[in-house]
Amino acid sequence: MSTFKHAKLPNNLDVIAEVMPTTKTAAIGFMVKTGARDEVPDVSGVSHFLEHMMFKGTARRTAADINREFDSLGARNNAFTSNEVTCYWAQILPEYLAPALDILADMMRPALRVEDFDMEKNVILEEISLYLDKPGHILYERIMEDHFGSHPLANSILGSKESITALTQQQMRDYFDRHYGPGNMVLAAAGQIDFDELVELAHRACGQWPSLAVQRRYPAVAPAARRHHIRDEKLKRHYLGTLCPGPSSQDMDRFSAAILADVVGDHDGSRLFWSLIEPGLAEEADFSTFMHDGLGSFFGYASCDPAKAALVEETMIKELSHVRDDGVTEDEIARSKTKIATSTVLSGELPLGRMRNLCSQWIYNREFRTLEEDLAELEKVSTQSIKLLLSKYPLSPLTITTLGPGDN
Amino acid sequence: MNQTAPMMRVDRLENGLTLVMEHMPDVQSAAMVLAIMGGASFDPEHGVGSGNVLSDWILRGAGDRDSRALTAALDSLGVQRSCGVDTVFLRFSASMLAKKLPEVMPLVADIFQRAQLPDDAFNACRDLAVGQIDAIEDEPAQKLNILLRQQHLPSPWGRPTLGVKEHLTALSAADLRLDYRRRFTPDGAILSIAGRISFDQMHDLAEKCFGSWTGPKAAMAAPGPAPGGSRHVHQETNQVQIGLAFDAVPEREPESILAMLAVNVLSGGMGARLFSEIREKQGLCYAVHAGYQSLRTQGMILGYAGTVPERAQRTLDSFIHELKKIRDGISADELERARIGIKSRVVMNGESSSARAGALLHDMYHLGRPRSLDELRRRVEAPTLTDVNDYLCAHPVERFTLLTIGPAELTTPN
Repeated sequence: MSTFKHAKLPNNLDVIAEVMPTTKTAAIGFMVKTGARDEVPDVSGVSHFLEHMMFKGTARRTAADINREFDSLGARNNAFTSNEVTCYWAQILPEYLAPALDILADMMRPALRVEDFDMEKNVILEEISLYLDKPGHILYERIMEDHFGSHPLANSILGSKESITALTQQQMRDYFDRHYGPGNMVLAAAGQIDFDELVELAHRACGQWPSLAVQRRYPAVAPAARRHHIRDEKLKRHYLGTLCPGPSSQDMDRFSAAILADVVGDHDGSRLFWSLIEPGLAEEADFSTFMHDGLGSFFGYASCDPAKAALVEETMIKELSHVRDDGVTEDEIARSKTKIATSTVLSGELPLGRMRNLCSQWIYNREFRTLEEDLAELEKVSTQSIKLLLSKYPLSPLTITTLGPGDN
Repeated sequence: MNQTAPMMRVDRLENGLTLVMEHMPDVQSAAMVLAIMGGASFDPEHGVGSGNVLSDWILRGAGDRDSRALTAALDSLGVQRSCGVDTVFLRFSASMLAKKLPEVMPLVADIFQRAQLPDDAFNACRDLAVGQIDAIEDEPAQKLNILLRQQHLPSPWGRPTLGVKEHLTALSAADLRLDYRRRFTPDGAILSIAGRISFDQMHDLAEKCFGSWTGPKAAMAAPGPAPGGSRHVHQETNQVQIGLAFDAVPEREPESILAMLAVNVLSGGMGARLFSEIREKQGLCYAVHAGYQSLRTQGMILGYAGTVPERAQRTLDSFIHELKKIRDGISADELERARIGIKSRVVMNGESSSARAGALLHDMYHLGRPRSLDELRRRVEAPTLTDVNDYLCAHPVERFTLLTIGPAELTTPN
């Protein structure tokens, strides 16, 4: 049976863990509550670029040392940046907890050397080019801009070639100083973990870090119904995105929202599956929740033959109107509950998934939730709770962004 | 750490179906894969991609359930599933709570033995497959992978598993129904199950669900030569896609562990040579990696890099330089890092029932028997530095296949 542990260091660093005695590996990570939404326009992309720079060396280690040392532990390690958070993680065999934490914690105090900064800028520009060849990504960035307008959730995670080229090492250092510190980050672990040892190691490695008070901005969003087509005649397929308001990461309606999204747009057996995939209208169709800090959205997506673009869009809108007007059936809810409950249990068997889940819950809600608590909350979802959800979030106003070779 | 050997068992049914099982006492889940010898290399000569269409069509109703009833039955049991083809197999994979497996297996048996293959779903399945082929044009990195295999491997191994558009548009429902009967047979099929299971219960279940299934092995398409050499495909992409392939010993040869260790030195973790030399030191690209893959009779190493046109030639030159340089040998430190890297992946994958079900199938195909986590660990520990370096010296990278996609052709430094 898993147990939850929490300790707070004198400098305010939260150390949390889910100890899973039957697992054979462990996952550890630092999650920092900073991402693209915390950037101003002239440092667009700095959160993600900084994530790369955290691997480039510290006062004690070069970039090659960090990579070589992780490899010597057989660690599987990486990092990611989103609109909301930046997370650095490693999956390890339990006997390597001490050396793995030593490297990871050291990385959180990076050297940010100018020569490394200049070299890594090339890699970031390459990553931007890579995503310019991915229509799904282009559609995502554009629909976030179209929907969120001047709200910082419209910010691009990678930044642009221009913003990255213009960014200076000093701007990055300033950003680091303002966002990376206890009070704005959490150290989490899951799996085969000795919690007392973890806290002791954290004391030694992180106890000297100065505490930070960071205030994230939560401006209001004013979404309006709009449609925007981006023409790219090089493309062979048409890509459709829809975005409308939904519950946030903190909102208890998120369990009803998860069921609603599954009923409408899961890969198998959902309403969009029957109306778009099964008859061969679209190769991909999906409806899911984007839950952010303080607000959220529902995202619809499809890709299809450009000749079928109008029909696919009409069908997607019809399905959204249908569920808004008539809700979902008992039968649909029961099936979705089973599907989501199974996938929750399956992902709960793996430490890496639990560690990330633990981090997010802490960052957004300052709480632990066991799998059992989540499952109990899921069990409460009913046709009534979905009706209530849809009265708060009526799947409108709808932002529609499309990308394809045609004129609209 | 307590590392008792996981419990495994292999049973063979009279009709030729092999059942391979692993009991994992620490999980609540179970995963199964049913794989028939019916992947792309079993597609008819002028029907390449028909297996891909079948892998969708068989889900559109089976036994006495139509498409909706079948989907509802699987969903009600919470089954996470996928069905698709690779070069060798057509496979249905499913993960679930272990206690649901006895109810899931009869549904899978219906799909493989009694698919309804309704007329009205045929066009939709074919259109979706054609759409997938068109969509590859918008994903240059995926396109590279398909074209590189086609260029490097002999036919039918190099066939695109999604299919050939012209073949699919000419396909009829009647042809494909005959193909279902030809291809969906138990002889050579493998049913792999891992998780919290009882062997005897699984055996009885498999016997009940699949015991009366009959039919001979389907014939594989006739082999042809591998094109090999260099090929450039012009496309106005932002990044040039670079793919390299060269031969290695197949996995069933004991020496394959030496090739795997060497590939890990090139591209295991972030400290490995390709990442460190090409990305970290020179900043030439974001993605650069290489990996070992094997068919039953041929192993190969596939390399990938993506970079803007201005840096593409330097990236290719550096990539080939690193591949050639490894014949000079690796260091003891590099070997140790590669060893611990592979060993810890073995433990990490050992926690997931779906990863284990996939690994059991893989072992049965390549070696004819499953390997325990302990055996996999011992295999990585055995070779000495001299063993690896002797292998590298005896198998230098001299001939390779090069495939590039992008606005301009590169020069091959041969």
